[in-house]
Amino acid sequence: MNFFVYAIVFFFSLHINADEINLYTTRHYDSDIKLYKDFTKLTGINVNIISGKAKPLEKRILEEGKSCKGDLFFLADAGRLYSSQKNGVFKKVSSKVLEKKIPVHFRSDYWFGITKRARIIFYNPKKISSEDLVNLSYEDLTDNKFNKSIAIRQSNNVYNQSLIASMIENHGLEFTRSWTKKFIKNFSRKPKGNDRAQILSVASGESKLAIANTYYYALMLSGKKGKEQKEAAKKVLPFFPNQQNRGTHMNISGIGVLKHSPNPSNAIKFIEFLLTHTAQEHMVNNTFEYPMIESVDPPSLITKMGGSFKQDNITNVSSYGKWQKDAFKIMQEAGWN
Amino acid sequence: MTKINQPFYSTNFTFYIIFCVSIISIIPLFTIIINSSIIDFDFTLFKNSQFLEYTKNSLIILFFVLFLTFVFGVIPAYLVTFYNFVGVKFFKYSLILSFAIPPYIFGYSLSAFFENFGSGYTLINLIWDTNNANSYLPNFSPIVNSVLSLSFTLYGYVYLLSRTSFVGQSVNLLDLGKSLGFSSYQRFFKIILPCARPGIFIGLSLVAMETLSEFGTVSYFGVSTFTTEIYNSWFIFDDLNTSNFLSLLLLIFVLFFFIVESYLRKDSRFHSLKNEGKRKKQALTGTKNFLATAFCLCLFFFSFVFPFSQMLYWSIKFPEYLANFEILKLNLNTFLLIFFTSFFLISVAIFTNFGNRVLKNRFLSFFSSLSISGYAIPGIIISVSIISFFSLISSFINFDLKTIFIGSFYGLILGYFFRFYSIAYNGIKSNFLKINYSLDESSYLMGFDKFKTFSVVHWPILNKNIFFIFILIAIEIIKELPITLILRPFNFETFSTRAYNFATQDLIEATAIPSIFLIFWASIFILISFKYFFQDNK
Amino acid sequence: MGNFFEVLDATFSSGNDHEIKNINFAIPKKGNIVCLLGPSGAGKTTILRTIAGLEKLKYGTISLNGKIISSNTLSISPDKRNIALSFQDNCLFPHKNVYQNILLGLERKNRKKFLYSPLELLDFFKLKEVQQKYPHEISSGEAQRVSLARSLISSPDLLLLDEPFANIDQILKEDLQKTVKDILKLTKISAIIVTHDPNEAFYLGDKCGIIINNVLKQFDTPYNIYHFPNSLEVVNFLKRGTLLNVKIINRQILKHKSLGIINGKYGCSNLNQFNEGKTVKLLIQPEDLLHDDKSQLKLKIVDRKFRGTNFIYTLRTPEKELIPVLVDSHHQHLHENNEEFGIKTPINIDHLVCFEKN
Repeated sequence: MNFFVYAIVFFFSLHINADEINLYTTRHYDSDIKLYKDFTKLTGINVNIISGKAKPLEKRILEEGKSCKGDLFFLADAGRLYSSQKNGVFKKVSSKVLEKKIPVHFRSDYWFGITKRARIIFYNPKKISSEDLVNLSYEDLTDNKFNKSIAIRQSNNVYNQSLIASMIENHGLEFTRSWTKKFIKNFSRKPKGNDRAQILSVASGESKLAIANTYYYALMLSGKKGKEQKEAAKKVLPFFPNQQNRGTHMNISGIGVLKHSPNPSNAIKFIEFLLTHTAQEHMVNNTFEYPMIESVDPPSLITKMGGSFKQDNITNVSSYGKWQKDAFKIMQEAGWN
Repeated sequence: MTKINQPFYSTNFTFYIIFCVSIISIIPLFTIIINSSIIDFDFTLFKNSQFLEYTKNSLIILFFVLFLTFVFGVIPAYLVTFYNFVGVKFFKYSLILSFAIPPYIFGYSLSAFFENFGSGYTLINLIWDTNNANSYLPNFSPIVNSVLSLSFTLYGYVYLLSRTSFVGQSVNLLDLGKSLGFSSYQRFFKIILPCARPGIFIGLSLVAMETLSEFGTVSYFGVSTFTTEIYNSWFIFDDLNTSNFLSLLLLIFVLFFFIVESYLRKDSRFHSLKNEGKRKKQALTGTKNFLATAFCLCLFFFSFVFPFSQMLYWSIKFPEYLANFEILKLNLNTFLLIFFTSFFLISVAIFTNFGNRVLKNRFLSFFSSLSISGYAIPGIIISVSIISFFSLISSFINFDLKTIFIGSFYGLILGYFFRFYSIAYNGIKSNFLKINYSLDESSYLMGFDKFKTFSVVHWPILNKNIFFIFILIAIEIIKELPITLILRPFNFETFSTRAYNFATQDLIEATAIPSIFLIFWASIFILISFKYFFQDNK
Repeated sequence: MGNFFEVLDATFSSGNDHEIKNINFAIPKKGNIVCLLGPSGAGKTTILRTIAGLEKLKYGTISLNGKIISSNTLSISPDKRNIALSFQDNCLFPHKNVYQNILLGLERKNRKKFLYSPLELLDFFKLKEVQQKYPHEISSGEAQRVSLARSLISSPDLLLLDEPFANIDQILKEDLQKTVKDILKLTKISAIIVTHDPNEAFYLGDKCGIIINNVLKQFDTPYNIYHFPNSLEVVNFLKRGTLLNVKIINRQILKHKSLGIINGKYGCSNLNQFNEGKTVKLLIQPEDLLHDDKSQLKLKIVDRKFRGTNFIYTLRTPEKELIPVLVDSHHQHLHENNEEFGIKTPINIDHLVCFEKN
């Protein structure tokens, strides 16, 4: 009997319509969920969540159309934000608070960057001397001295696509095409695994350089992945490229209000909450990303890597989305699997 | 039945319901077809070297998975059926525990063990004090990893089905072989294997279907396959049309295995099991005994102990993940899903099968057998087709079906219905086929109407196996990921979505706890239905 | 009041190629038994299945108790006909034991009271020992008996039996035939029994129908069928005699080349349809010719069969025709092959049955 009571409760629990916002997210961090609970405590607004892959969620939102109960879509890549915007997922939103807090190249009229990620180079000091890396830019990774030494993940990874897209934005298609062809000749192995696997490959000496997002490294250093991985991470050092020119490639996690959002004002409240000092601090301390607002310091594990590096403040992250398809084509043509 | 129900009326009623069920169940197929315009499809894709390589990868994986599942399935099935060796009883049962492990979880364990500084590294360090343990570990290529993950988790189909064929083989036939002076080696290749061919092929077809529509594992290892191309065209190029068209091609290819499978099933029902007394098992001694035991032990170890202990190791090493794990809610969610879905699937399957049996309408039976094509469609494509379909219909009939079926419990059940209906339908069909039609006729001739015939004759014979079908569906639902991920309501999590969630955060260690629950429940289900897996033993 | 059960101008079809056309027969009174006899594959089972309502009737009508139950437009579903059919092959419910299977017969809707209890039936059909066993544990003969008992106890208006004694051994068979006949007569249940065994049909049936090559060749009493088969096919099927070329002298006298004059009884012949002087084929049955050692008419023996109560000798005429002759087994001496065998003359035959020579 109890079972049926549960079942009935369960059915109805799916249709509760209190003061709430519904969030689609491709960020899967448990720490985010804790943060959302703080938001509920603060405002009394419940946050309902569905997580998943970007495109299926986008498809669901688009097809649900006016009957979509969702208010917000949280995406983990600037290119994805751009393409969702183009597909008409978001509503144009203006908020003085947000405009003040978020630098202009990390937002658009439709979405707002929440956290930043740096895609940088990791090296094994035993295998490569730091002199080789002086003033190094991504552009220099085609150099012969890095022959068979770079570990990077596959071309269908969106962070790689954004990286190459930023290259296209800055140097044009032709340059990027020939650059990519030379670049892949320096791969130490056939691309496989996630960013952390690239760092581990450097740690084990299999590769000399790896390209990966900073938070993977910080996650290993934090010990959350166990003692072995922490030790392994210590064998590797981060390097921030392009310090002499436009700055290190930055990507963002960003959020936008959905076109047919039933509660847009709550949704904006929620975004504004994400950019408060405490929320930013909570996020970066758990996910080891870079904060969007200046008043928050990056977590110590990250600042240890180099707190005051020059971030790419020139390239608008929207451009990643513009060039991603071309970037992928270029990578494929070059034979980057 | 009441007096108003003329026989023709009730027959028509049944006809239309079955017709509707069949129509509903080909929605995904229908949606894929109407959404994949051949005109918009860029045929130069087929000349694209990348695309060709992806296709080649798919075929390579398919070939090796089929080969390995054949070896992993047929050899132990042969050993446990015909020979006695140390642990034979244990292996007979334990080898099907591999069903409890989804390929993606096997994949997590595999990469966690063999990656640089992974658990394998820890283990080697524990035994020898060395500082380059990483180099002792084999560095499998992504394709090898995918092949291993799929083979070790899918061989159960081949094992079970070939075992059933072996057990069903006539003792006389084998005695004949002996009297002709065949060695056991010759007997195996000349008599046993050829006779078991239908069973083995059915098993291999199931494996092939699973392999071709599988995405989670290959994408986890980063192997680009035909399915990758499907996803790339959508995820990167925003071109759902190409993606649908490619799914359709995949479906046609998979359908080939599907037809082989159903053809063989039809064929194999005429080789019904006749137990002619107990077969005497031959006792193996010496080296042979050792080799048989070692083979089965290795298989059991790699297919079950290895992934399970990896998960166990992580849960112990990282107990902090247990802290905020909503055990009760996840269990409840999973069980509600299982309960409602299997109830729905089994009821529909019983009704359809019974109706087809009563109506004997060829068109309708053909139509109903089409309805099980969903098994061949990748889960993610099914969910997208549900979304597209309801959006299309809603705008067409001007009534909002979307809120009912997208992001709701009903939508989830519908998704599982498309994906797993074939398990229920085929399972019940094969049991119905075992009931000789003359029993129905005798029942009618005793003055029992169709519904009494069902309750007096069919149900008592079916009900034992329905429990087994329930278990099979339950195991699949526990493991299911893509449909749940896309169609679920807000705040709805299952073990598999939790595990996926952690895996995408790169907190693969945290997948251990949901994975262990998943494996635990699936194993429990398998354990309580052991005897049904080996029904031939009666 | 018409016939209790009637099949009128019916064409039966089992789905594919096979059709049995223009069938007419009837059970005049309640309690009568009709046997359908014919070689296997003749479509007898199809007829039973159609009567039971399991197959559709192509043309014609079938009526029971004055109500049409099958026609080309109407088919009352099997469960509403109150007709029981006991199948040739196993049709017991595997999840019920023998006794429970029989009890199920009691659950027929609108069932009339049956004279015997289930236990009595178990006894009649010698099933007491196996009553607790399940269908897969009993022999096919036992299964057939259970099925028979189950059909009987359901007390249908019409009982259809398809080869009811096919799997039962010879000795028990005769017992059971009697039991079934007695029960049917006592309970006044009408039955149609399909068999390929003429003896069984002649014993059980009030009327017999012979079905050969998709046609109901003859429907008559067993006596008439035996003595006045109406076609060569029936003769060949019954395998009881031989056909000799004879010349018609007049309505009662025939002449055969080596046997000489053959006399018949007036009125017991079908010679009316033939012209005098014509050569026809005469049916000679084993009991028609009598043995006489002293006779002048002698024919060579080619075969001898011992059948317990009698011998059947096969004789060869100079025209190479083979003639069976029945001799009492108490006859003093045996005749060997190739020996000459005397036949009593003049030859008198009770029933002169002749056929057109083709």
